[in-house]
Amino acid sequence: MKSLEELDIRSDLVYTKTHEWAQKTGNTVRVGVDDYAQNALGDIVYVELPAAGAAVNAGAAFGSLESTKAVSDLNSPVTGKVTAVNETLVDSPEKVNTSPYEEGWIIEVEPAEPGELDGLMKNDAYRAFLKTLAPVE
Amino acid sequence: MLRKTALNAIHREMGGELTDFGGWEMPLWYPTGSVREHLAVIETSGVFDIGHMDLLRIKGKDAFNLLQLCLTRNISTLKAGSCGYSMILNERGHVVDDSIVYNLGGDGYILIVNAAMGPVVRKHLEQQGAFPDVCVVDESGRFSKIDLQGPAAPNIIRKILEKGRGTIDELRYFQFRGDYANPNSEIAFPGNIPVLLSRTGYTGEVGFEIVMPCDRALAAWNLIRDAGGSDVTPCGLAARDSLRTGAMLPLSHQDIGAWPFVNTPWSFALPRDREGRFTKDFIGSGIYRDPPSIYTCAFCGFDPRKVETREALVLLNGASIGSVTTCAIDMAIGRAEGKIYSVTSPDKPSSFRARGLVCGFIRVDRPLKPGQRVVLKDSRRSIEAEIVSDIRPNRTARVKI
Repeated sequence: MKSLEELDIRSDLVYTKTHEWAQKTGNTVRVGVDDYAQNALGDIVYVELPAAGAAVNAGAAFGSLESTKAVSDLNSPVTGKVTAVNETLVDSPEKVNTSPYEEGWIIEVEPAEPGELDGLMKNDAYRAFLKTLAPVE
Repeated sequence: MLRKTALNAIHREMGGELTDFGGWEMPLWYPTGSVREHLAVIETSGVFDIGHMDLLRIKGKDAFNLLQLCLTRNISTLKAGSCGYSMILNERGHVVDDSIVYNLGGDGYILIVNAAMGPVVRKHLEQQGAFPDVCVVDESGRFSKIDLQGPAAPNIIRKILEKGRGTIDELRYFQFRGDYANPNSEIAFPGNIPVLLSRTGYTGEVGFEIVMPCDRALAAWNLIRDAGGSDVTPCGLAARDSLRTGAMLPLSHQDIGAWPFVNTPWSFALPRDREGRFTKDFIGSGIYRDPPSIYTCAFCGFDPRKVETREALVLLNGASIGSVTTCAIDMAIGRAEGKIYSVTSPDKPSSFRARGLVCGFIRVDRPLKPGQRVVLKDSRRSIEAEIVSDIRPNRTARVKI
């Protein structure tokens, strides 16, 4: 398990308490899971994805990640409509482990309301939040 | 406070993801990841720290009689140098534990049982008071055990052995040589490390279980790593669990346990002759006169999605008929043209790609036939599963080495 210092927590993203990241690009928000989540889950072997066009709600599950250890919900950071799904994860779910912020992105959402990301944690706040969780050595 | 095996420092040094397993701090996986660890055992080899298991030595003129009464296996056919898989049942036919019994010759036997089960099994044996000339010694803590599993394993062991190298070629499935407690053991690793080397394992692949004195475990581990090079991958308990599931092997106290051992895929552990009659009497055999309607079956799904064993129900035509005891993913298998193939299947279609399949065991209230479909349902999802007579094809455990 990576230590808190070893985790790649990026400054150009915002984070949820359930370890998803979000990044606004133009009119859409790209969503994935962060280095903490992929490291804690272990090898991801299957990603349950929503269909393009599906409605997602902030804080509610839109899919799941299957690791060899467990199943974990994917929660949406924003309310809106799914505009794109990373279909390469169907054949290569391990991209969530190897490249959680780039090739392993999961969905893109058109938010219902602008500014919805404002309530999410920036990287410093997120690191502080991670420290409050069960200690990683 | 978790107990630590002799190799605990190695697990930490290698960045293993450590977990509490039966009171022991054990690696779930290393940074390699459980998928590559699982595949390494099928394609090259994997090495596992199994130092959390317990070991009993049974000696004396009555050792045979005691074990013949307490084990489901008929050990009258177990020659010196051979070992066998057996259940230990209580009077009600429930599983106390499963074990491998080793016939050392000269009225000596070893029982390897599961983590923390040494004292329980010892007490169970000692309660059978009719045998004056027998001594049961719990050697747990004095020994360590390392499993080397996979097709590269025989050559790695050949490279290591300075004594007894020739015996590897003759060693058949479920045979062993040497004794770790004997300084003049027939089998020794370099540095005069006495070992008990048995051609057994918990993965379904060809390989060895290696028992050595506790204080020599680190040296033995390093010898295996050095001899194996890139052909040996350290593996954690997650890969061990997924490999054993695909190989149709039960986990004690999960797939077998405190309920009658009847109608299971592991009935080969019972002492039946060709006509199905018992060849001996043993503790727990009374349950077979009128066995209850409990059936354990293997299943295989259609993708890797799992259900939570603690809460999942087995549904047949919408009605609950039982529970899920193991639900794991064998990452070396997949379905193509209606059939299950492994990455090593010689007849796999050229387009075949193993994406992994969910598989495991269910305990239900009625017999089910291979090919029948059931639904496994937990609070998250329902998955379809097929009852199967075998899971991962083309396993290598019995190949000639």
